[in-house]
Amino acid sequence: MANYVMVLDYKNCINCKACEIACKEENGVLLGADKHRIWVGSNNPKGEWPKLDIASAAFLPSQCQQCENAPCQDVCPTNATYYDKNGVVQVDSDKCILCSYCMVACPYDARYVDDRTTTVDKCTFCSDTRLARGEVTTACQNTCPTKVRTFGDIDDPDSEVSELLRTREHFSLKSNLGTKPKLFYLT
Amino acid sequence: MDVGISRRRFLKGSAALTVLGGGTIGLTPLLGNEEGDHEAAAVMTKTSTKEAKLVPTLCEMCVNKCAAIARVEDGVVVKLDPNPLFPKSKNMLCPRGNAGIQALYDPDRLKRPMIRTGEKGKGEFKEVSWEEAYDAILNGTDKFPGMAKILDEEEDNRSSFLFCAGEGMAEHTFKMFYEAFGSANWLNHASICLQTVASAYGVTMGAYPQADLENAEYVIMAGANRAEAIVTPDTMDIFKRTKGRGAKLICVDPRFTNTAAKADKWLGIKPGTDLAFVLALTYVTLDEELYNKEYVTNNFNDFDLYKEHILSSGYTPKWAAKITGLKESDIYEIAREFAAHAPRAIYYPGRRSTFSKNDFQLRRAMAIFQALSGGIDTKGGLVFGSKLPLGEHKGVVPMYYQARERAVNKNKQNDGYDHCVVVSGGGSWIAWRNRFLENVMPYKVRGAFIYKHNPMLNMPNTAKTAEMFKKMELVVAIDTMPSDTVMYADVVLPECTYLERTDPVFSFGGVEPAIAQRNKVIEPMYDTKPVNEILHGLTKKISKPLFEITKKHDMFLQDEITASESDLDENSTMTLAELSKQKEETMYADEFDLTKVFEHSQEEVNEHMVAEKHGEEAAKQIKEHGIFYPNMEKYYKQLGENKFQYYPENKKSYSVNGGVPKTPTKKIECNLANLASKGVDPMPTWRDEYNFKVPNGKFKLLTGRHAQFTQTGTSNNIALHDLIHTNYIWINEKVAKEQGIAFGDKVEVSSATGKTIIRAYPTEKIAPDTVFFVHGFGEESEKLTTAYKNGGCDNAVIEDNIEPVYGAAAMHETNVEIRKV
Amino acid sequence: METVAKKSSTIKEFIRSIPINKIGVKDLLNFEKSPLNIFLAALTLVFLGLFVIGVLFYLLHGHHAYNVTREHPWGLLIAVYIFFVVSSTGLCIVGSLGDVFGFKDYMAISKRAIFGSIVTIVAGFAVIAFEIGHPITMMIYNVLTPGLTSAIWWMGTLYGLYLTFMIIEFVFLLKNDMKSAKTFGLIGLLVGLAAHSNLGGVFGFLNARTISNGVFYPTYFILTAFITGVFIAFIMMGFRYKLSFPKEIQTMLSGLAKIQALLISILIFFVTWKFLTDVYGGMPNRAEVAEHILGSWTFWTEVILAMLIPLTIILASKASAYKAIFFASLSGMVGIFFMRYNLVHDTQLKPLQEMKIREYQLPPEWIHYFPSATEIMISLGGLGLCLALYYVGTKLFSLDTEH
Repeated sequence: MANYVMVLDYKNCINCKACEIACKEENGVLLGADKHRIWVGSNNPKGEWPKLDIASAAFLPSQCQQCENAPCQDVCPTNATYYDKNGVVQVDSDKCILCSYCMVACPYDARYVDDRTTTVDKCTFCSDTRLARGEVTTACQNTCPTKVRTFGDIDDPDSEVSELLRTREHFSLKSNLGTKPKLFYLT
Repeated sequence: MDVGISRRRFLKGSAALTVLGGGTIGLTPLLGNEEGDHEAAAVMTKTSTKEAKLVPTLCEMCVNKCAAIARVEDGVVVKLDPNPLFPKSKNMLCPRGNAGIQALYDPDRLKRPMIRTGEKGKGEFKEVSWEEAYDAILNGTDKFPGMAKILDEEEDNRSSFLFCAGEGMAEHTFKMFYEAFGSANWLNHASICLQTVASAYGVTMGAYPQADLENAEYVIMAGANRAEAIVTPDTMDIFKRTKGRGAKLICVDPRFTNTAAKADKWLGIKPGTDLAFVLALTYVTLDEELYNKEYVTNNFNDFDLYKEHILSSGYTPKWAAKITGLKESDIYEIAREFAAHAPRAIYYPGRRSTFSKNDFQLRRAMAIFQALSGGIDTKGGLVFGSKLPLGEHKGVVPMYYQARERAVNKNKQNDGYDHCVVVSGGGSWIAWRNRFLENVMPYKVRGAFIYKHNPMLNMPNTAKTAEMFKKMELVVAIDTMPSDTVMYADVVLPECTYLERTDPVFSFGGVEPAIAQRNKVIEPMYDTKPVNEILHGLTKKISKPLFEITKKHDMFLQDEITASESDLDENSTMTLAELSKQKEETMYADEFDLTKVFEHSQEEVNEHMVAEKHGEEAAKQIKEHGIFYPNMEKYYKQLGENKFQYYPENKKSYSVNGGVPKTPTKKIECNLANLASKGVDPMPTWRDEYNFKVPNGKFKLLTGRHAQFTQTGTSNNIALHDLIHTNYIWINEKVAKEQGIAFGDKVEVSSATGKTIIRAYPTEKIAPDTVFFVHGFGEESEKLTTAYKNGGCDNAVIEDNIEPVYGAAAMHETNVEIRKV
Repeated sequence: METVAKKSSTIKEFIRSIPINKIGVKDLLNFEKSPLNIFLAALTLVFLGLFVIGVLFYLLHGHHAYNVTREHPWGLLIAVYIFFVVSSTGLCIVGSLGDVFGFKDYMAISKRAIFGSIVTIVAGFAVIAFEIGHPITMMIYNVLTPGLTSAIWWMGTLYGLYLTFMIIEFVFLLKNDMKSAKTFGLIGLLVGLAAHSNLGGVFGFLNARTISNGVFYPTYFILTAFITGVFIAFIMMGFRYKLSFPKEIQTMLSGLAKIQALLISILIFFVTWKFLTDVYGGMPNRAEVAEHILGSWTFWTEVILAMLIPLTIILASKASAYKAIFFASLSGMVGIFFMRYNLVHDTQLKPLQEMKIREYQLPPEWIHYFPSATEIMISLGGLGLCLALYYVGTKLFSLDTEH
């Protein structure tokens, strides 16, 4: 019983994509440009050579936000998308009918289709791999060269994520939509 | 025949000029299917909650050797996780480290020894057993002569074989074979890598330093792209602290790289003009007396001479602004800020291959500039670090009197060599190759042994390299993948990947030194072997036969092993013949038995090397945990989810020499008088010929790295290919628009050397007269399914210019033409 | 035991008493062999053939036979499904004018309309069956673990019920039991309206997709359903009477045309205000999508074919040029198809993740989609199925209202 969240010190991110591969290797995600549970987003810097805007070239790692008020869970007709006991949004592939409603409803483009089961898949905070083995880090957190991510239980006031959120300013993505995402970006 | 020529002596002499600093100089050999969505064919590995074997090892996907833990379930390597115990890599694995699994299970891997059956370069081989391969090397086939024949014809001139290797933990193992074989022709990645920068810092401050980026407050990173050319622990340390979180990073680069995106300021300097920038910074520092007077007084040689030189040459920021394209005010500001933060200020030395012909002077200027601020051998500055001792693995170095000197030609005028002033241990690959092709070698070089090296693609002018290999009569390649170089071999010996072998234990120096070892994770697949076993088998085959050849031609050996009357005394019961035989056997066993080098397993050798200096417990720990350093149990702590302590703060080796340089004179050498006679500027000087002007309609070609690729080594890796399908050429958006080039259009890039085809990436991140594309694509080996004809090849186009001091390849001196195809 | 036997015999009797014509293949082939009819017959057969081929491709390649992507998971098949169910709901509304609400002028079309509503929704289900990844799973878990906050669940369940009620109503219509028909018709209509507005709600509930989010789609779906129903009514009557309409039919058509003019005017009003409020103030994500739509040819096709042409013709002829209105209804149906396709595509036009995830790509701007051959084949197949079922229906049942 926990409430897992992830805190991202995204300014550390160098867009090396170690997290993308570690996720695929750990969780057996198929290769393919559209088959990613997590990704690092970047923008072309604004401006013209040589006056380029550094801040606009920031890298933003992202993935399923494990929203507390997840639109994907609301719209699933068979309750294939559900919250597990650790607050992680999971997809029961036995129940998923691939109506794709959740894929359209997700504000974060977090979902894709796993070709092997023809059901919807997404980041599960490594629930059935690392967490199932009793480890306390996710693959993406553990492998990161600049340690962007910190993963932990926000219901535990002594956890590192709780401490980080108490002491550092942070924001979430598209918070105006009321999804209550559980990925927090440190400013 | 020169008796005085001793290979041992030669090696010793040249070693002084090759400076190996505080440990971690892993040298990287630097120097492109239709793009489109590959079918998601490969099923990835997935971990589970099953019983698993966890083996600590060291990654080999690039030079850094990050510590990893391999997870093996049911005999399959399913995940590579970081090993948190290693101070150098600090519990991380980059994308390539994770993709080691795909390198291990790459279906295109070399599986069995092969010998050439078709035309050289066509890659037509037949698979044979190890015994047959060794026999082919010794005795040749109908397609190519054997080693025995060549040596016999060359009268045992061991230097008729070239030995070349890429960087790796077992490079030393291969080098021991080279030493035992007796050749004087050794080439490695150094001259297409960081030879120049390491040597320049070496002659200036006595060692090639590391940078304490964990504590520096101000860092100038010029031409080093740590966000994409990952170096441990530099990349781990600096990017957590930029953007107002403790350090200010000034990125100076002709492109807007990912490092620029992470920096606090970026200057789009003109390529090849860094020297002017540094000279101007030095000018401001000297003119406004911003330097650390005490440090300079105590630790500089020829400071007044240098100061006079800088100030009187007019190296003002105004002058530099014109040359570099930077703003005058920026140069003043940087020099002043740097001094304000000194000694916790770093002008980052950089690491990569040479940019341009003035690189040696540039790095010297950088070293001196850093020294002016006193930030040497101190916390937050450049550090020498310390290194833990290890026992030695002794090799066999016989004396071959017929072995000729290294194939370099002395330049009578300037007391240097034909192509460069200094011949370092790693040599100058380009110069050597070109001399070979021009037929000006002092003797015939007829064969080559290649280990973990891809000369076909790693150095400029692939056409010439192909020609060289075609001319060589016996080429033996030891590799894991069927690279372009392997296609030109006569005998191919397949090495197993790093996950299938234990490699020599290594001591990593630095602020937090440690000893680490690569442990075998699974048994070698197919019929592959680690290099020491390969060489063991090879030496078993060739040792005696080669000794016979030496016997035949080497007068001095003949002398030594022939008994004479004077050797017999009253008590001798043997005949002269018997005595000679005994002498010969003793001589062979003592000095010429090449198998002795490889007779122990790597595990045994490692244990011995560690135990000798640190005890049995340490040897055990390295086997179980992969890492050892003294007091590790006491010092190592996990401080948080992502933070570890390896050494307590007061035990870190920030300052090991009291700030004193490690030169023989214990001073920073501003003026290298001995170079002046060889035609090299003794002090960093700007010459008019360094001025950069790209002809109209052409572009200066830059090359570099992305974090997802390690040159050609990873080109066939399907997981990494998922991240970066192919390479694209960066071309300024406005220029692209004018020429009607849109994103993804195929263009032909051509120079005097050759041409290649690549897709276009219009971007504002590069200047209108400059283009860039990443190295490691455009391979021609058909056996590499993913890499074959994928992308553009930079070395097909880059001209073989070399910088004049060490002969290192100057990679950014080529102007190219671009047209849409 | 006895009551069960009794009940089952009552049901059997009931079923036997439904007036169905006994027909054979000869009867099916017995139609006026005019060039138009032969063309339509051939077209229907071709479409049915395409359906089979398309389904085969889908069975072989799965969803890879379609051009749907991660960012654009809803494609042509969804649009065609919506097209069919909107037609079905519309026909239900038109049909209920007569047999539920008792407007005598419109009773002539009730039976035909209700049958049409069954046929179209069956065609719609046939198309969507090959779009849903796991239709069997759906049937099991929609019942076992229903997602009651899901508009798709409500839509699916209600449409299932709606179809049931439509069939029952049709049976009673066939038996001329107007009282029972009215009851089931009313229930069916209400359930159908609920189902259809939930279909609009599928889009309306998308908080992240501001172009579709809100009250517009659930209400506009009902409005356009009615409009579609009237278009199809004209087309059905046009074919039935070969464009020479008897007097009572003319009265009905005049009434329908007037209703249509009013409905289309309301529609134009709604759509205009939707775009005005979408574009006003340049709100990110909404204004640019609206502007992009206004600049696309599919939108204007929809406007011209479904709204402007029919409205103009009806107004110009004061709702009396029935032949012209028939052709306007054909153009209207094409326009309605574009309307459905636009709806589905526009919702997904703007990517929700706008950053590059690879260095060497163009930044995501507008999501591109064009249907694959398989999707087109199955869609046309659905149309063919619809036409074929309708034709068989005209032979099996007497769809004209008796007096």
